[in-house]
Amino acid sequence: MGIVVWVMTGLALWHFTVFLPDRFWGGIVGAFAGAVLGSAIIGLAISGLDVPGTDDTTLLTCLEAIPGALIGMGAVYFEGIRREGAARA
Amino acid sequence: MSVRRRSLLILLLVFGLVAGSIAVIATKKTQLGLDLQGGVQLIYEGKPTKAQPTVNQAALDRSLTLLRQRVDAFGVAEPEIRLAGDKQIEVSLPGVEDVNSAVDQIGSTAQLFLYDWEKNVLDEDCKTNPDEPQNGQSAVTGLYNAVQRAAKCDPRVDANNSAADRPRVYVFDKANKPVSEQTFESEADARDSLDAKQLEGAKFVTVPEGILVLRAERGDPDKNGKVPPAPDRWYLIDDNPALSGTDIKDPKQEFDERAGNLPIVTFKFTDKGRKAFQNTTRAIAIRGQDNAPPGADPVSASQHFAIALDNELVSTPYINYRENPDGIDGVNGAQISGGFTIDTAQNLAQLLEIGALPLRLELVSRSQVSATLGKQALDQGLTAGIGGFIVVALFLLVFYRVLGVIATATLAVYALYFYALVKLIPITLTLPGIAGLILTLGVAADANIVIFERIKEEIRAGRSVGTAIASGYKKAIGTIIDANVVTLLVAFVLFLLAAAGVRGFAFTLGIGVAVSLFTAVLATQAILLALSGTRLLSGRAALGAREREARRKFDFMGASRYFFSASGIILLIGALAIAGKGLNFGIDFESGSRITAPLAKAASVDQVREALRPVGFGDAEIQTIDNPDLGKNVVQVSVEKLNPQDNTVTDALNAKFGSAGDPNVETIGPSFGRSVARSALYAIIASLLIIGVYITLRFEWKYAVPVLIALMHDLLITAGVYALVGQEVTTSTVAALLTILGFSLYDTIIVFDRVRENVPRMPSAAFSQIVNRSMSEVIVRSLATSFCALLPILSLFLFGGETLRDFAFALIVGTLSGTYSSVFIASPVLCHWKEREAVYAKRESRIKAEHGGIVPAYAVATAGVPADVAPSERGGRRGRITAPSDPANVSNQEFEDMVRNLGVESGQAAAAAGPSVPGGRRAARRAGNGDGEAAPKPEPKPKSPAARKVTRKHGRAR
Repeated sequence: MGIVVWVMTGLALWHFTVFLPDRFWGGIVGAFAGAVLGSAIIGLAISGLDVPGTDDTTLLTCLEAIPGALIGMGAVYFEGIRREGAARA
Repeated sequence: MSVRRRSLLILLLVFGLVAGSIAVIATKKTQLGLDLQGGVQLIYEGKPTKAQPTVNQAALDRSLTLLRQRVDAFGVAEPEIRLAGDKQIEVSLPGVEDVNSAVDQIGSTAQLFLYDWEKNVLDEDCKTNPDEPQNGQSAVTGLYNAVQRAAKCDPRVDANNSAADRPRVYVFDKANKPVSEQTFESEADARDSLDAKQLEGAKFVTVPEGILVLRAERGDPDKNGKVPPAPDRWYLIDDNPALSGTDIKDPKQEFDERAGNLPIVTFKFTDKGRKAFQNTTRAIAIRGQDNAPPGADPVSASQHFAIALDNELVSTPYINYRENPDGIDGVNGAQISGGFTIDTAQNLAQLLEIGALPLRLELVSRSQVSATLGKQALDQGLTAGIGGFIVVALFLLVFYRVLGVIATATLAVYALYFYALVKLIPITLTLPGIAGLILTLGVAADANIVIFERIKEEIRAGRSVGTAIASGYKKAIGTIIDANVVTLLVAFVLFLLAAAGVRGFAFTLGIGVAVSLFTAVLATQAILLALSGTRLLSGRAALGAREREARRKFDFMGASRYFFSASGIILLIGALAIAGKGLNFGIDFESGSRITAPLAKAASVDQVREALRPVGFGDAEIQTIDNPDLGKNVVQVSVEKLNPQDNTVTDALNAKFGSAGDPNVETIGPSFGRSVARSALYAIIASLLIIGVYITLRFEWKYAVPVLIALMHDLLITAGVYALVGQEVTTSTVAALLTILGFSLYDTIIVFDRVRENVPRMPSAAFSQIVNRSMSEVIVRSLATSFCALLPILSLFLFGGETLRDFAFALIVGTLSGTYSSVFIASPVLCHWKEREAVYAKRESRIKAEHGGIVPAYAVATAGVPADVAPSERGGRRGRITAPSDPANVSNQEFEDMVRNLGVESGQAAAAAGPSVPGGRRAARRAGNGDGEAAPKPEPKPKSPAARKVTRKHGRAR
């Protein structure tokens, strides 16, 4: 159940990327992948490589997804900027 | 053949099939499932044995055959036995009320072993002493004590080990009571099967291989023929049988005249068995004689031969050394006596006759539906079906007038065909199946809506009714096929992967979609074409296409960011709800039992709890149910730890309050719950993959990704709503979720299909303008299809009873979310993604430069270039068309009619007829001629501040 909560939180945060300039590597879909993968991977890392089961999933599990989603989307964003710069050069 | 003649022929076929369907419905019987007529459903999972170390297809097939023979012997009318999933066998027994007897008869492994008793009975030090009768042992009281003693023994591994051919783990609770009588192959397996509550204080005891814990034999039946309950007394023996069930033949139930005509089972031996029997009894007789004290009574001094069936001692006859010093010649066979009623003796004889199962079958799920509740469910299902039909018909009539009448007629034809197919195939009609049927009413109506909207569009573009019908069908058919193929694929995945109860739904959904394609595409078209020349369809008003539809100017893409934000917030709330409150998984997933019992005496929740406390279920969830059909005093008890063989709760209720009818019992074992969850996950993943591949093939891969994101969105929002409201998640919910995948796609495909169509029409427009234009063109039909699909679901929710209400709830949430995501998730994602492509980025830059840095929401004509043009059709013929291109199908008269309908002179007919005009339609339009397509006029450039409101500045800085 933990993975569902992480992915759902990451997906929720991804929706707000429409307010940012579209400089994500892969565009809005790249941002989606960054949010979902980031939230799942970092969530997994925070909880010690263990996916919380139905009984272990709490509100804290939801919060665990936020840094991952932000890191994932940030990574995709800066990769997009880097590629833009490289293309211009 | 002319169009009219072909239509008439199709109509003839339709009427012929209607007549055939009526005949089938009148003569054939409807096969009702257990949930509609009452009965017992048992689901077994095959487990390996030493003789059959792997659960393979051959072993499952053999088990299936043997089970079928057992069920036939049980005398059940129209039983259903089939493989379900990888290792499971589903047995449905309609009309059966005695579930215990069914379980005993059908699922018994029927492993018969015969032992030299004294040679195998173990003492407290795990030693045998063949010289002493029964090794001086009496049975140990309590399974826990017996197992503890057995656990101290060293393994006795040899090739002859049979019933104890591997170590077995027993599980006990804090009070040393067995959690179940089932044993496990390892502690890990045992732990895996328990829920968190059961794990608290659970004790796991491993009995080594070769040591068998055997239940002591039952006593004889009392005067009323009632057999006493199985005693909680146990022997420990070395598992070293002298003979097994394969060494016997011709088992029969007979009566023992020497013992007051008590029922017994007699059998003969095979040649090998006869020799083994004589050798063993001879050894027993000799040993008895050697060890008998001088002058001892041979009855008390003789040693014994033991017959054990499925780890239960059936009898231990002595071998009288004086009467049979050379043992017993097995030529006359032998008999098993003790503890039988006539029925149980007959059952055992039948089981032995059929033979032992090659696999150990573990009962993982048991459902018992009372006939009363079954009938009630059937009535509710039919009411929901009729209600669904009426509301869909009303919607069609109000919205589409004459076309609605035709659609309603074909909907009735569809329902008739479907019901006839159900009887003809035959399909066992279950409650989920009825749900599938009701849902396909919406699917069938959706196909009509897509076609009718296209026809109306053609009429508004100036086509005649006949041409509009032909053209509308031609353009709509691709969308309908795409949408229905996706639903069919999802139904197929459900059928292959989902749990047993859901398969009926998937099957009816699949059949329904296929039949609805026939009625919507062929029958409706034939009726329309046959009527197109008549007064009935001559007026535009009759078709609901009187005035030109005002183009909706809503800036969908511009507004999408706000809807995106709303979705984000909804998902966040859903995530918090799942994390905080959790999903309320039903017993389908969590395992446990739900018992709905009509009681003879009124009982409050507290009284029921007090009655259940002594049997260990004081913490059960108990509620009283208002169900006059079932009785005045109905209670529902949900417990977590009750294995499928256990009747403790019903027995306790009956003892305290009496029974006013058959209870409804649903028991799901832990392993079945896990397999249901696993298959649900597989089904969702497989559906998403198949949908992705299909959309990629039919559109392009960039269309598939937004579709998958939107579907994921729908599933998660539905899950979030379930968590928020605490609705129970059952297998029906999973079926509903998968159905949502198909339904949600219907809208998305309608929009994407139009986007695909508009891309070549708008060669200079930004992608956001193409999407806005497409959305404005199809938003009505998209909303209409969703609303129409929602109507029968609402009927299910209101009239379908408890089971269908759960199902309908998920569908309502999913359908609403699906409609929303098609418009505000899938399309904007596609738009944002496609806008990054070089061609669209270039267009956007140009448009921004032309419009002061903004992209108008809708395409505008600039510098004499129209906003949209008719697409050039690949493979189109060049040159003028002055005669029918296909004289076999289009007569000269029809061709002339078409020319007149298009309102062009014969010289212009070529331009009007299609893509064959030199210079194309674009040239024709520039010349001021209609191009015969539904291409709208160029959008005017917004001038006023109000008009500017419908433009949007794309949020991304480029």
